[in-house]
Amino acid sequence: MTSTPPRLDNRTAAPAVRTPWRPPLAATLVVGLALLVGTVLVCVTIGPADIAVPDVARSILGHLGLGPAAGADGGVPVLVDAIVWDLRLPRVLTGAAVGAGLALAGAVMQSLTRNPLADPYLLGLSSGASLGAVAVLVVGVGLLLPVAAFAGALAALVATLSLARVGGVLTPGRAVLAGLAVSQLAAAGTSFVIFWSATGDSYREILNWLLGSLAGSTWQSVLIAGVALLVVGTVLVASAVRLDAFAFGDTAAAALGVDVDRTRWVLMTLVALLTGAMVAVSGSIGFVGLVLPHAVSAITGPAHRRLLPVVAVVGAIFLVWADTGARTVFDPRELPVGIVTALIGVPVFAVLLRRGKGSAWT
Amino acid sequence: MDLRIAGVGTRLGGRWVVDGVDATPPPGALTGLLGPNGAGKSTLLRLVAGLLPPEAGAVLVDGVPVHDVPRRERARRIALLEQESSSTVPLTVREVVALGRIPYRSLWGTDGDDGAVDRALAVADAAHLADRPWSALSGGERQRVHIARALAQEPELLLLDEPTNHLDVSAQLSLLGFVRDLGRTTVAALHDLNLAAAHCAHVLVLSEGRLVAAGDPREVLTADLVRDVYGVEAVVLTHPGTGRPVIAFGAAPAGTPLDRTPVTEGAR
Repeated sequence: MTSTPPRLDNRTAAPAVRTPWRPPLAATLVVGLALLVGTVLVCVTIGPADIAVPDVARSILGHLGLGPAAGADGGVPVLVDAIVWDLRLPRVLTGAAVGAGLALAGAVMQSLTRNPLADPYLLGLSSGASLGAVAVLVVGVGLLLPVAAFAGALAALVATLSLARVGGVLTPGRAVLAGLAVSQLAAAGTSFVIFWSATGDSYREILNWLLGSLAGSTWQSVLIAGVALLVVGTVLVASAVRLDAFAFGDTAAAALGVDVDRTRWVLMTLVALLTGAMVAVSGSIGFVGLVLPHAVSAITGPAHRRLLPVVAVVGAIFLVWADTGARTVFDPRELPVGIVTALIGVPVFAVLLRRGKGSAWT
Repeated sequence: MDLRIAGVGTRLGGRWVVDGVDATPPPGALTGLLGPNGAGKSTLLRLVAGLLPPEAGAVLVDGVPVHDVPRRERARRIALLEQESSSTVPLTVREVVALGRIPYRSLWGTDGDDGAVDRALAVADAAHLADRPWSALSGGERQRVHIARALAQEPELLLLDEPTNHLDVSAQLSLLGFVRDLGRTTVAALHDLNLAAAHCAHVLVLSEGRLVAAGDPREVLTADLVRDVYGVEAVVLTHPGTGRPVIAFGAAPAGTPLDRTPVTEGAR
């Protein structure tokens, strides 16, 4: 007994699952960005008026001063240019920025809360942002729209996390339940404010805020969503290593030298800011932040340095196509894009619930 | 690393969960931190790791209060493995071990020493697991990988909170023997007195937040101590092969010699 050394690990068990092959980050990003550019060019051509990709390219080059202007010799016809530059391109670019922003927000929230179901929509941030946005629209201070949406998102986040902690530990299931309550309250508030004030088609307006729509996109939307994405997105990607440290929880992160409280506070505020900016231009579009991080991490792996940039690009591509579907499939009717994302997102949510069965989710 | 725990204490909800603990775990050796549930073992480990500010006293590493050492530098010198460390993130074993390099990584994620992960995997005897998903490992393999993660931090001080929980006997023995043979200053909270007696060069015994005994397990682990601290009668025998103490729980009948052959009650 004493002479035989203790056995080490049991090595007879063959590895049941091999690590999937993970493509290099640079190549993934190059392919992703190429697909995004292609998506933008193609989706601008899709719609009632027949426009070809070269027209889109010529219109864009004309506006950038790199080619003949619209109506000039060699330029696109003025009507085509108006459809491309004033209508479709702002919408497609807003969709790309919003998709990227929501996907990033979801990925960061899932890591910070260690909750695979975390997402700005499910945890109530989007509804809170909508309420904030609608409230200032009524008062008539349109300039404050993104700020108010940010305040609404932050308030909803604080409300959800506090409610989820009442009388117990913060589990993923409780967080989603609390998010549901906060989100319903904020949605009711949004509907109330619009009913109280609206003179015209209040039902459509309510639907656009609650389900999300890119129909009202302008170049100002592109600017708001784009700047928020670039600024906040850069900081989030730069925080990738710290996000990795949360994989085994707060204490493990602290033991790896991360200032846990400060990191969580700063990054959650940034997520609220990003969500606020996106909701200000598009209403609350659901499930983008929930679905894409899971889908993308299957390819990139969970390391945030790889996951975050790729999820942003894929989120952009995803939402542009979802919105193109929303505006063309039932032409001339147009669906709020949130209906399309929900159709895709809810089955994925179900799969996640099934996968989480038996673990400590509730 | 020269570690000195100097009168350290902290309160939780008004109660002193660690109360004036003074100890000097020997460098380069395995120290067992013993005591019943709620004795303050985990809290003391967090104080030593610098994750919790002490309300009294100090933990000194090379003479400097550990809580004053900058976070990243601290994480390069001290590694703490918590009890029950799990993750829902689908990481591979190599990715889990690479987390230990975070204190060395720059903002954009470059580390400059990828060899550390491989070395840690090799030392922890987990290299053959490197490409497997962490979630597919057995309990013993997971602990080994956690230790590899701690080793990837290249720490001078290793703090382990009940590393042998939920492991079978073989995995417990191999894990603790392996930690002992690392020859690194290690403090491990342990539940199993016999495991501590067999492997630790030094033990610290906590009871209700206070240090009640410290020293060589052959001198410290007595029937009186087990009764006082755990409220359990026990007989302390000597292992005939290793010469280490073996604690048999249950009162000794009066006049029984301590080295008697155990009664085989298992044949009921």
